[in-house]
Amino acid sequence: MATHRTHHRRIKGVVEAAESPDAPEDGPDPRTAPWPSYDPGEFYDEMVGPHGVPRPAAEALWRHFTELGPEALSERQDAADREMRAIGVTFTVYEGSTGVDRPWPFDIIPRVMPSDEWQLIESGLVQRLNALNLFIDDVYHDQRAVSAGIVPSELVAGSPNFRRECVGVDPPGGIWAHICGSDLIRDGDGTVYVLEDNLRVPSGVSYLLENRMVTKHVFAEMFRHYSIEPVDPYVGRLANMLASVSPSTGDPTIVVLTPGIYNSAYFEHAFLAQQLGVELVEGSDLVVLDDDCVYARTIDGLQRVDVIYRRIDDLFLDPEVFRPDSMLGVPGLVRSWRAGRVALVNAPGAGIADDKKVYSYVPDIIRFFLDEEPILATVPTLRCSDEDSRHYVLSNLERLVVKPANESGGYGVMVGTQATEDEMASTAKQVEEEPNRWVAQPIIPLSTAPTLCEGEVAPRHVDLRPFTLLGPEGAYVTRGGLTRVARQAGSLVVNSSQGGGSKDTWVVDTRGGDSLPLNEPSGSGS
Amino acid sequence: MNDHGVGDHDHPDHPDHEPNDVASDLQPKEPTMLLARMAEAVYWAGRYLERAEGTARIVQVHTDAHVDMPVGQDVGWEPLLSIVGVDSEFAERYSHAADAGAADAAEEDVIEFLLRGEENPSSIMGAIASARENLRTARPVIPREAWEACNNLWLVCSDNLAETDSRQNRVQWLRRVIAGCQRINGILLGTMSRDEAMSFLLIGQNLERADLTTRVLDVRSDNLHPQRGDDPYDVVHWMAVLRSLAAYQPFRRAMPARPQGGSTLRFLLQDDRFPRAVSACLTETRAHLKGLARAEDAIEATTNAAMVVASAAVPRLTLGGLSEFLDEVQVALGEIHHHIDDTYFRPAFVGWQPESLAS
Repeated sequence: MATHRTHHRRIKGVVEAAESPDAPEDGPDPRTAPWPSYDPGEFYDEMVGPHGVPRPAAEALWRHFTELGPEALSERQDAADREMRAIGVTFTVYEGSTGVDRPWPFDIIPRVMPSDEWQLIESGLVQRLNALNLFIDDVYHDQRAVSAGIVPSELVAGSPNFRRECVGVDPPGGIWAHICGSDLIRDGDGTVYVLEDNLRVPSGVSYLLENRMVTKHVFAEMFRHYSIEPVDPYVGRLANMLASVSPSTGDPTIVVLTPGIYNSAYFEHAFLAQQLGVELVEGSDLVVLDDDCVYARTIDGLQRVDVIYRRIDDLFLDPEVFRPDSMLGVPGLVRSWRAGRVALVNAPGAGIADDKKVYSYVPDIIRFFLDEEPILATVPTLRCSDEDSRHYVLSNLERLVVKPANESGGYGVMVGTQATEDEMASTAKQVEEEPNRWVAQPIIPLSTAPTLCEGEVAPRHVDLRPFTLLGPEGAYVTRGGLTRVARQAGSLVVNSSQGGGSKDTWVVDTRGGDSLPLNEPSGSGS
Repeated sequence: MNDHGVGDHDHPDHPDHEPNDVASDLQPKEPTMLLARMAEAVYWAGRYLERAEGTARIVQVHTDAHVDMPVGQDVGWEPLLSIVGVDSEFAERYSHAADAGAADAAEEDVIEFLLRGEENPSSIMGAIASARENLRTARPVIPREAWEACNNLWLVCSDNLAETDSRQNRVQWLRRVIAGCQRINGILLGTMSRDEAMSFLLIGQNLERADLTTRVLDVRSDNLHPQRGDDPYDVVHWMAVLRSLAAYQPFRRAMPARPQGGSTLRFLLQDDRFPRAVSACLTETRAHLKGLARAEDAIEATTNAAMVVASAAVPRLTLGGLSEFLDEVQVALGEIHHHIDDTYFRPAFVGWQPESLAS
């Protein structure tokens, strides 16, 4: 831990250096702050620093809100809600067995990050995804990381995400996880941590893009005065990456594979297909013939498909090798992929690297495969399979987050400070029965951001999901990401399936003074 | 992606410039493809949008005509059910009313059924909801604005359903539907590439139009027979027929006679320039089919339907046999749909081999 600690200070350092923590004499007067009673308390706030002074990157926005006044803010929120509804941005929640389309919850107050901090995060994310891909490729080939003692062999062999069908396969460029949606959080002192690497079918990028579009309409004037990094290039980068892994020469035929209209992320699948200008297929639209190639059923007959951006989980992909009862997949798809006749993005088996036990080894994985120190911090993680750790976890439940190693979406997670006695007892019992399934982490006090809650602006906890693309021709990270926000005061749950909202994230250039004309008299910010 | 990875930061002014075009980037993708399932979705979206608009026009005109009729001579609300072809479903649903001794279908029940019943795909709300579902499926192949306009139409119409309660506000609501459908059509015509997806959408639209026109004629002609000679309301009836198909003004400009049975039939069946005349719909359908591969059977069925319509002896039909004739047209229209469905939406891929394997 000690060695990479110095590295995350670099990120923190950026924040602190820009903060001018001492007497804010030439900063804005707190009495002219847009929300005089706004108080994030002990938490790190994304917009407001010590003494109620806005962070430099957010200062122009802060002033703008002061000029705008609270009523105009509410009006613009209404306008944004109307627009989200009109353009049909929805997500599906399940009430019992029926899916209900809900309008996408969006808070108009952007979360602002300075571009120099963002650059560091970007390099950290690319470093991580490179290392994880080397690790996955190693898992399905020589397992050098296991032989070298970097990760224990049961971590690989015992993982439910290990796919023996993938052993020995060589996807183009040795890349398995082409698209990663990382979850980042910031703790009380401003340090940014990676909380999860989502390498299977991460979702949310469509909401990131739509949030920006709506924000551009709602705060059109801000975009004239602020140098805000664009998010639109993502789609073009995604298209290039998908084309770059095609097994055929010539124009590749690319499709997005969805489980169908009842899937909770269907909106995103349709959105991406539309943006990419490719077909959105379901399993029944595809067929694998004796030549091991994948074909789509088109109005002109069968047509060869080269690249499949699949949004179906591994186990439902191909009833020939995985779950035989899957109606969503395509029989023979894995056979075709193994034969190198079709590219699957992400590749099957990539999930081996995103379970929460592997997570705790990622710093060592980075050092082993890249011979570099990790740029981004990892939350200290106790593996309950280890006896000392288990003992510590069981006697400190109220101070820890205990979570199953192989679940995603926030299921089965126990937050010690918020759990009831019964919930704690139940978790303790499960940890004792199946210690292998559980890990524990300290409770990170997530940073807050100003959020409009029933007409009042109040601090709410946030996380951040940027998206990273990795192909044989290079890497790309979205500028910013999807900021998810807990709607209830004090809540740490940001998942939209559990009532969380979202924000646009602005990566702003704070280096050029002329990019902040709203900021003339101020001495800070450059 | 190419050489511009994360190292872009050295060029903050051009953080995302793409590599220059290479020659191959200037050539259109070859081949493009259209999934059978997508083709089916846009075809049905075209049909349902047309159904929503057509039904709205018919109900609107009927409400107006109802006002013009002398007390005791009004035709009631059942004809609307026949036009939409839902008499039996309606009878089943509202059998309790009949049991209670009510001889005629009540206005509010008919309106409820034709406008609001989202579970009834022939109702206006049902047609809009189905069009929306199909466009949602087809989002990747239609302009984003068209999907948004349809979503918006659905939202506005369901939010304002209460307007349909009174005759006065109902007109407002129906106008919304008509304007909303026209807006979607406008977006499609103005921004969608004339590709295969567009062809399927327009084929669906034209077949539905032709179908609606024959239904309107069928029902109206049945209970609006010209046997009364100089009955002043005869003209009112035929004007209503024309109005419910937005055909009154085009009729006046194109035809020398005042609206009566013969001239109206001639115009709505055989005119080649008015887009809701059956003949014009078939001409359009055939033109779009000609741009598709493997359309031989569907084109033949279209030609056949056009022959049936063209060979109608209109003067004789006004004296009788109109209903049988219109049935014949409807069967011919059904044949076109049947061939399109077989050829494109449910093709037998079994045993089909790509060229690379066949050679």
